[in-house]
Amino acid sequence: MMDIKIAEEFMIKLIAEASKYGFEECEASYSDDITMSVEILKGEVSSYEQSTSQGVSFRGLKNGQMGYCETSKFDDEAVRYMLESASENCEVLNDEDREFIYCDENNKDLFFSQTTEAYNKNTYNRFAELGLALEKAILALDSRIEAVDYLSIDCSRGPVLIINSKGLHSYRDSDGVSIYAGCRATDSDGSIKSGGHYWIGNDIDKFDMDAFLAKLSENILGKMGARSCDSGTYKAVFTNEAFMQFMSAFLSNTFATVMQKGLSLLAGREGEKIASECLTLKDVPMYEDALTKVPFDDEGVLTTEKAIIDKGVFATALYNLKSANKAGTASTGNGFKSGSTIGVSPTNLLVVPGEKTFDELCAEAGEGIIITDLSGLHAGVNAISGDFSLLCEGYLIENGKKGRPVEQITAAGNFYEIIKNITAVGSDIINIPAGMGEFFTPSVLVSEVNISGEA
Amino acid sequence: MLSDNDVLKILDAAMSTTADFAEVFQEEKSTKTVSLLNGRVIRAGTGYNSGTGIRLLAGTNCVYVHSNDNDIESLLKLAQEASHAIKGISRGEIADISPLIHTSATNIDIDPMNVAKSDTVGYLRNASEHALAYNGLITQVAAGYAATERLVRITNTRGVNKEDSTKRIRLSFETVATKGNEKQTGRVAPGTMRGYEFINEYPLIEKSEECCETAMRMVNAGYAPSGKMAVVLGNGFGGVIFHEACGHALEATAVSIKNSYFTDMLGKQIASEVVSARDNAKIKGEWGSYETDDEGNESSDLLLIENGILKNYLVDELGARRMNCKPTGCSRRQNYSYAPTSRMSNTYICNGESDPKDIIANTEYGLYCTQMGGGSVDTSTGDFNFAANEAFMIRDGKIAEPVRGATLIGKGQEILKNIDMVGNDLELSAGMCGSQSGNVPVTVGQPTIRVSSILVGGRDSE
Repeated sequence: MMDIKIAEEFMIKLIAEASKYGFEECEASYSDDITMSVEILKGEVSSYEQSTSQGVSFRGLKNGQMGYCETSKFDDEAVRYMLESASENCEVLNDEDREFIYCDENNKDLFFSQTTEAYNKNTYNRFAELGLALEKAILALDSRIEAVDYLSIDCSRGPVLIINSKGLHSYRDSDGVSIYAGCRATDSDGSIKSGGHYWIGNDIDKFDMDAFLAKLSENILGKMGARSCDSGTYKAVFTNEAFMQFMSAFLSNTFATVMQKGLSLLAGREGEKIASECLTLKDVPMYEDALTKVPFDDEGVLTTEKAIIDKGVFATALYNLKSANKAGTASTGNGFKSGSTIGVSPTNLLVVPGEKTFDELCAEAGEGIIITDLSGLHAGVNAISGDFSLLCEGYLIENGKKGRPVEQITAAGNFYEIIKNITAVGSDIINIPAGMGEFFTPSVLVSEVNISGEA
Repeated sequence: MLSDNDVLKILDAAMSTTADFAEVFQEEKSTKTVSLLNGRVIRAGTGYNSGTGIRLLAGTNCVYVHSNDNDIESLLKLAQEASHAIKGISRGEIADISPLIHTSATNIDIDPMNVAKSDTVGYLRNASEHALAYNGLITQVAAGYAATERLVRITNTRGVNKEDSTKRIRLSFETVATKGNEKQTGRVAPGTMRGYEFINEYPLIEKSEECCETAMRMVNAGYAPSGKMAVVLGNGFGGVIFHEACGHALEATAVSIKNSYFTDMLGKQIASEVVSARDNAKIKGEWGSYETDDEGNESSDLLLIENGILKNYLVDELGARRMNCKPTGCSRRQNYSYAPTSRMSNTYICNGESDPKDIIANTEYGLYCTQMGGGSVDTSTGDFNFAANEAFMIRDGKIAEPVRGATLIGKGQEILKNIDMVGNDLELSAGMCGSQSGNVPVTVGQPTIRVSSILVGGRDSE
């Protein structure tokens, strides 16, 4: 197998040759994604996949413009191809904003390896055995569960190496395991319900099957008898999972890159109150409970912990070097590769939990609705204006308690109004992969959401 | 690409235990992109990616391994590892490799990979500047261009040895209108398998004005109402509803494991009698077309629904094994890093008999969606959701005020039965479809149709 040393030699060659093509500064970045996955269907391993996907991308500055090129081939011909292509790209660019190839003199050599010993436990046999046992256990939960249509156990690890002409040498790696199961059940009226659950971690031994089954069972059997509900304005508890989905759909409004393109209503509003005092949203690169910690970004800038929304006040946008320079401020260490170019991404996100349990949030609502899942987030939201209208499901809240399940309804409103109308934040924190790490959030209570259902 | 001899070695290694079938999929892909914001080029990229996928089947058991290290020794090692993971009964036969057959659905006069980026930039800048000057409400214009060249070779133990090449172009143009805190967009994103002549012929200036008009109308529009009502879906991208709510449920990926509400429904009435639909991968130069699918079968023009009766499913090799039928030439994958599976190509509702004007005139009250956004569907339950990017109210058989923020939800199996009028103005529209085997180019399409009742989730109650 090709190893990172071959890639590094190729990158050194690229950087050495770049000046011959007129590049003033340049950078090469390598990543590899090594994965293994097992899928289970009807008592058999239906699919086993193993892969490695590596690539090198180059970016170089010429007359103030940054040209990009990427390849999966690391030979001499590729050196020429990369530099010629990046050079052609520089010639057509006319970006007004200054681009950077960066190296902090005090932090030239950055290294952070978090590949775990436990990763070696991830073998085909281990995954197959666990998957088959899990499928059997799910089917044994309830006679209404007809099939586990999708059950996969995946693991992946990968290094990221970045070197540049200013002397930066940055390396980080991470690993992880995930389990997902989706099943199908038949309701008493013959209609089909589907539900699933996931687990993420970095030690397969820490997978708690009983806890997983309990949650999965709630996610599917809880839907039995679900039907629409009356249209109207409801108090709503967004479960931790639904709130994570919701916040993720609008998060890019806090990216300086999006603001500077005129696509965020938060532009120029740092320091202003934009949300309820209950809401504090932080970017915590080294969050203790995070599976993936991120001490530095892809531009060689050290990351820092900061509040994005601090007790309702929009504290700071997320910046990379380019957007920070344009705004006359410093990078927040959020410059990460997105596609081939450097964009902005959060590291580990945290909605700071409150003190109330989920049941206490329902009690506080009295009458209302619990939203457990939102669909169509890629289509049913206007990320710029904040307007959304989304297919959702959940439960009614009756007399302060979780009531009957509801489906075939939409929740509509505006992101900026919803975050102002959060009246309580729960304590039931969960983590879901997002950004460069995970999103940690509890459930929240919102005073007003428009629900469309029956008449 | 590897030599036939090396490919045979890989197949041998893959079949060394109990697989009954093995396949080697080789791919090379190059891309060229530019993005403009307000007439300035803010991004220009070039990329090359190549890799190999090796698939082993033993009955319905599948092992897939892939790597972009194309060194023969590495691939042989990978094939051997794969052979240890397959759980079959006995070793299958390896047929002689046939002479290579080359196919292509690409229909090209001017090769987009040879056009200088500066030409494309000039074209996009011109339209961007035109749109920016169109009206004071237009505050931003984004334009993008991507050209892709893909060469794949599929060799399997049945002797199949085929190479297929495609070149595709996708253009995108989006305008933003701003009024106070409100921002709305208008967008076109045509795609083609024709050459750069498509760009030369495409009326981008005219289309840029339409984008501005949509964005301006929507920024001035009130919220859509909530409730069940008749919905008229405009032609072209309106077909995304059929794609999501019906097409995905006809793929073997769902049907073969009974995860679709259309399982065991062949020959049965699944839609109203005015509905016929096809999945046709053979339309020359169309964005979603191809000649040879990603497991080496010839593509097809498949009748899915005829006068409401279900005629065919979309079936790949693995699905065929589960469903005990033949593959239909619809197996696709984003690239070598995905095992192939049943996917759509150019999928559309066929022309009906109604004049679109009569459809509107016959609707007393309802919603007219002229531009759809995306959506999604759960093929087991049928639950779907779609966003309308541009919509108008219909009152007394006439198109009335524009409304924004409408989402359509329902059950796929019900909506098909509720289509009560089908127009005669079929149009196709390019999109990207994401599913198990990644993102693949598809077109959706339909004439103007009316659905007698859909739940519209808006913000205003009337």
